[in-house]
Amino acid sequence: MIPQNSASSTARGANALAAAGNEPMTKVLLIEDDSETAEEITAELADRGFEVEWSASGIEGLDKARSSRPDAMIVDRLLPGMDGLTVIEALRKDQVRTPVLVLSALGAVDDRVRGLRMGGDDYLTKPFALVELVARIEALLRRPAESPETTLRVGPLELDLIERTAKRGDRVIDLLPREFRLLEYMMQRSDQLLTRAMLLEEVWNYKFVPATNLVDVHMGRLRHKVDGPGESPMIHNVRGAGFILRTGP
Amino acid sequence: MEASKARPLTLSGKSAGPNPMDQSHIIRSNTFRWALAVAGVFAVFVIVLFGFIYWQADQYLIARSDKMIGSQLNFIAGLPGERRLDAINDHLKQDSRGVQYAGLFSADGRKIAGNLERFPPDLQMNDSVQGISVERTLPAGKETHVIRAIARHMPNGDALVIGREVDETREISHVVAQALALGLLPALCLCLLAGAWLSMRAQKQVEEVNQRVQRIIGGDLRERLPHRDVDEPFSRLTVIVNGMLDEMEAMIHALAGVGNDIAHDLRTPLTRARLTLERGRTNATTLEQLQMVVDKAIANIDQSLAIITALLRLAEIENSRRSAAFGTVSLHEMLREVCDIYEPIAENKSIDLRVGVQQRLSVRGDRDLLFEAVANLVDNAIKFTPEGGRVDIDLIRGDDETIVRVSDTGPGINDKEREGVLRRFYRSDKIRSTPGVGLGLNLVAAIVKLHGFRLAIHPGPGGRLEVICPDHRSG
Repeated sequence: MIPQNSASSTARGANALAAAGNEPMTKVLLIEDDSETAEEITAELADRGFEVEWSASGIEGLDKARSSRPDAMIVDRLLPGMDGLTVIEALRKDQVRTPVLVLSALGAVDDRVRGLRMGGDDYLTKPFALVELVARIEALLRRPAESPETTLRVGPLELDLIERTAKRGDRVIDLLPREFRLLEYMMQRSDQLLTRAMLLEEVWNYKFVPATNLVDVHMGRLRHKVDGPGESPMIHNVRGAGFILRTGP
Repeated sequence: MEASKARPLTLSGKSAGPNPMDQSHIIRSNTFRWALAVAGVFAVFVIVLFGFIYWQADQYLIARSDKMIGSQLNFIAGLPGERRLDAINDHLKQDSRGVQYAGLFSADGRKIAGNLERFPPDLQMNDSVQGISVERTLPAGKETHVIRAIARHMPNGDALVIGREVDETREISHVVAQALALGLLPALCLCLLAGAWLSMRAQKQVEEVNQRVQRIIGGDLRERLPHRDVDEPFSRLTVIVNGMLDEMEAMIHALAGVGNDIAHDLRTPLTRARLTLERGRTNATTLEQLQMVVDKAIANIDQSLAIITALLRLAEIENSRRSAAFGTVSLHEMLREVCDIYEPIAENKSIDLRVGVQQRLSVRGDRDLLFEAVANLVDNAIKFTPEGGRVDIDLIRGDDETIVRVSDTGPGINDKEREGVLRRFYRSDKIRSTPGVGLGLNLVAAIVKLHGFRLAIHPGPGGRLEVICPDHRSG
């Protein structure tokens, strides 16, 4: 089937575009003791235009994090020698604010993980899809800065955060509060792949994966309103991965 | 093999050798040491007791004999002068045991009558009974005796001495020694024997328990500890342990059953993935076809992973004790939020989703988990309600309790399933065969239990599930 192919090439295209924006090369430090997992992650990130450094132990990783100052880190939670969260705590004590994505086979219900998320870092439970990992790393690297702007603009799309109104060109879009919240989140992260899990966590504050395809239903309704008949689509569904809001095709 | 590794349970580090109850073992055993200590304390106590009895008896006898010689002195002194000599002689003559002493001395110290050769030099002439030593001339020679004596001046200037040797004391000490020999020694021996016996018995029991436990560790889950039908601590302990073993055996069997279920559930998508990949490898001729095959395989693997994730999450909630993270959760807001999220899904199925809130109500709990529970209930309700139906989320105030009710116009849950849902690990076949991983209600039950709430499932027609939050949590 054709859509399959075109979908994956869309995903590549989007990320290549994202990677192209990251000049000079973004450096990611990966601390993971399983060499096979590390190899896959390294290869995938390299494909997306990242420079990846790999450490197999917590102590070595901590040294590298201090010496080479990466832009982001991916840290496995269970590491030989020094536990992943301890590595992060040690770095934070040294005032190193590098954003971290923690990987773990452990569940995410405990309080240390809550603390992690509140500190602006992210947590991904194993097993995960590679697209999910890349999307989250990109999200960590491109955290939207607190801006005083009260109007968000992406192409013809305009969102007034004070008046709570949305417009595409001259067309006023009538949004429900929940749709407004979703569009706001997406406009702050335009040109960025947003996975279902990310949207659930950030927009709906969901800490678990619901049985029903909630995100798709909500997204379908929003898309119906944003992309009117005859207009070029802005909300793109990346098959098997998530959604992107962008002006281009 | 497992059993041989699990050494800590065997006695004293040594494994159950040919004779684990040798003598040194018994002497080193705690029970025996206790018996020894008790015997020692008992012996000291008995000796002190006998010493006290001896001392008291001695005191009593001396006091009695003092009174006696006092009255004899009064009697003899009260007689007229000429009759005193006869009285003294009579007095001494009646004394067959030779314990009486008497003497009448003239003012110049000469002996007038009695069995004392001279006036005892230590004796004070002050009418009080004193302990003195006197010399007595017997056919065998001179002897020194310690006696109690009293002396008084007669009106005519003579000195009268009356004395008595308190020799009963010696007899008493003899009796006491005999009693000690007769009573204390056998008692001590008995104590030690009892100690040795108890220690041996305890070790035998422990050894027996050890052997059974080794068998249980070895995998024989039906083995139980031996117990006699008597009311003693060890028996009660074995009853308790056996009860625990029963419970664990039942649980292990339940888990084994669940394991089979899970294995089955996991095997289905994995088999599909394997078949797809196998066929794809031989049949795919273009990259597109291969990608399609891989996508299908990934979807199946994801389904297996979703099952594992759901099970882990269930275990996580069941094992968590995070009441520390509890806060006030305003249910009315939470229900509106759940409704807000599920509204589009309900609309797509033409289901009327409504929230009925009579008043603002709050409970103490973990907001994220309670949200998950209610979302799961609503998710299920929408899933099982046919198109054009209706799902209601209501917040009701009952007697001392707050109730969240999710009701729908679907088929409801039948009696058999109702019990099962609340049982651990259960999934109904019907739930299992619907899309999505059917652990939702188990999750809800686990969350509700963690909060000390109750989950009520009402019989059909129509599904009606209630999360009942009592104001005062029991336990």
